[in-house]
Amino acid sequence: MRRRDFLLHGAAAGAALANAPAFAQAPKTVSLWHIYNNDSDMIHLGIRKFHEAQTDYRIEQRLVPYVQINPELIRAIATGSPPDLVTINDPDLASYSSQGQFTDLTDRVAASKVIDVNKYFKGPQTSDRWKGRQYSVAREVNTLSLYYNVDMFRAKGLDPDKPPTTWSELAAAAEKLADPAKGVYGLGFAAQQSEQSTFQWLPWLWQAGGSIDKLDQPEAAEALGFWADLVQRKLTSRDVINQPQGDVMSAFLAGNSAMVVNGPWELPRFRREVKFEWRVTLLPVKDGRNIRASSLGGFHFAIPKGAKEVDGAFRVIEAMSDPALFREGWSASGLLAPRSDIEIADPAWPQAYAVFREQMKTAIQRGPHPQWSQLSRPIQTAIQEALTGTKPAAQALKEAAAKIQPILARTPL
Amino acid sequence: MSERSPLLYVFLLVPVGYLVSLIGFPILYNLVMSLQEVNLGNIDTLWRPFLGLQNYRDALADPTFRKVFVNTLVFVSANVIGQVGIGCLVAVAFTRDFAGAHFLRGLLLAAWLLPALVVGTVWKWLFATQSGVINYFLASLGLIASPVHWLSDPSMAMTALNIAHIWFGMPFSMILIAAALTSIPDELYEAAALDGAGVLARFRFVTLPAISPALLAVACLVTISSLRAFDVIFAMTHGGPLDSTNVLPLFSYQASFQDFDFGHGAAIGMFAFVIVFAVALLYVRLAYREQEL
Repeated sequence: MRRRDFLLHGAAAGAALANAPAFAQAPKTVSLWHIYNNDSDMIHLGIRKFHEAQTDYRIEQRLVPYVQINPELIRAIATGSPPDLVTINDPDLASYSSQGQFTDLTDRVAASKVIDVNKYFKGPQTSDRWKGRQYSVAREVNTLSLYYNVDMFRAKGLDPDKPPTTWSELAAAAEKLADPAKGVYGLGFAAQQSEQSTFQWLPWLWQAGGSIDKLDQPEAAEALGFWADLVQRKLTSRDVINQPQGDVMSAFLAGNSAMVVNGPWELPRFRREVKFEWRVTLLPVKDGRNIRASSLGGFHFAIPKGAKEVDGAFRVIEAMSDPALFREGWSASGLLAPRSDIEIADPAWPQAYAVFREQMKTAIQRGPHPQWSQLSRPIQTAIQEALTGTKPAAQALKEAAAKIQPILARTPL
Repeated sequence: MSERSPLLYVFLLVPVGYLVSLIGFPILYNLVMSLQEVNLGNIDTLWRPFLGLQNYRDALADPTFRKVFVNTLVFVSANVIGQVGIGCLVAVAFTRDFAGAHFLRGLLLAAWLLPALVVGTVWKWLFATQSGVINYFLASLGLIASPVHWLSDPSMAMTALNIAHIWFGMPFSMILIAAALTSIPDELYEAAALDGAGVLARFRFVTLPAISPALLAVACLVTISSLRAFDVIFAMTHGGPLDSTNVLPLFSYQASFQDFDFGHGAAIGMFAFVIVFAVALLYVRLAYREQEL
């Protein structure tokens, strides 16, 4: 092209652009980092619906593996380029919000017509707040209940319609169900040296009437002693101290564990892997105490400080908090809605759904505490010491209490 | 000497610049972080409270740190001896050129090609107490009376981890030593045999001296890579039970990315760095000596 032609073409293009009518502005990008590599997760439906419903914003999603979401977010914060929206695990929220790394959402949530905070379960409501202000919005919740193998119950003369409701009934059932010759254990739970063991043990601590700030009291020792006793009597495999919850469920599905304590997120595996009749029941309470409690888990949406598209990110959160999505979330991934008013007409695994929803009423969050990991680690050590028989439960917990109490003295729960 | 053209320094600028900016700077930054109190609130600024050597003092006072440090030394020693020793024996065995040698060598290499997380997970299944294949074979051979708690007994877990990691890294040593073995002329072996040297004597007096520079270099490389081991341990035991398989890189990761105490994590990392640096220096020295020989 000759230079004159080039200039002419350039001028024409420029004029055309300047006159460009209804395209207005190109849609702004909201960057979303999440952990859901499962194609059927509700987040993908949420993104599609968001794009269909408006053209102001487009979501650019990035998949981050579960164990890497914190390191990746920290790296992004450190280099000054955080994403607009991120999914963070429940116990980690306070670490970020107490240090001012999350945007304060209190006013936006109050003004929102979609998000009605009062309808959310108490647990996620508490985790979402720090010192009276709200810094995140719960996406889903989960909790722990007792799965049991109905076929094995019948084979050993136990009534599957009357599953154990107290600790003593649980231990008795475990004894009947354990079959060392066939490699079957009565009860399984996760005691790996990680947050998983704390998550699994806290319900027992609370049901015994104990609390994290009083680990040196007899209630805590009873709760840990119950676990240690099961391992010592070989009703629970010693290998649990190396197993995360996924492995514990694998043992259940393979028929190596007659009962397991686990959560609803494992249910999608049942579509392909289960070969026996099974049910879920509420976690057995401690005889005499009758305190019903379970752990709370789940991921929350948060907008990091320094995000460019705060308004857009909040609109995405609103789109993701649509009740229709929550119903999808259960059938696809076994994730419960964080709101108590969501009803699913025809849920997948209806028996399990009913039990987990009931258990959610008494699900307690971990913390919130900005140093949750440093509270959790001594508990993990105590669990491992008691289950391996290295130390008696009471002594292990006393040492854990000695590490935890100074932290709680500085920042109470 | 003006024989060195100034162009040489221009060309040197590229690798030196790369080393300084991509390797030297992060190490320096880590050192600075280890002297500060770094948390989620100030990770995005450089202006943080100065703590001096407090992070290091806290680390040394922590009994878990001492346990982790000892674990690291045990892990590294076991891996060096295991990987180099077994690699050497296997390499020597392969010089015999028996039927199927090529195929077997390729198969061994496949172990090294696996992702570390896969290796850790598979060995976790192999070592499972009740359903693991290893206990099954040991029991059916009559070598054990009851299943061994490989990964759920704090005193056995490190052994299990070492077995898995030595299996993982051995092919690397084997290949390097095999390369060194090919440079030994056959005449030396023939002369030794004529002098009446048996197999062991030939190995001691002909093979070993000839490959000792390579052996030392391989040992240095294995030391360095063992000091960085993370994925296999993370997948196999998560550092447990009771921190019996926790090593410096994993411990540093836990401090930084689980406790969000980055200064402390950086300090732990510096301990590992000092060891790696010393070994790397040794390796460079040996490499120079090998060149000059």
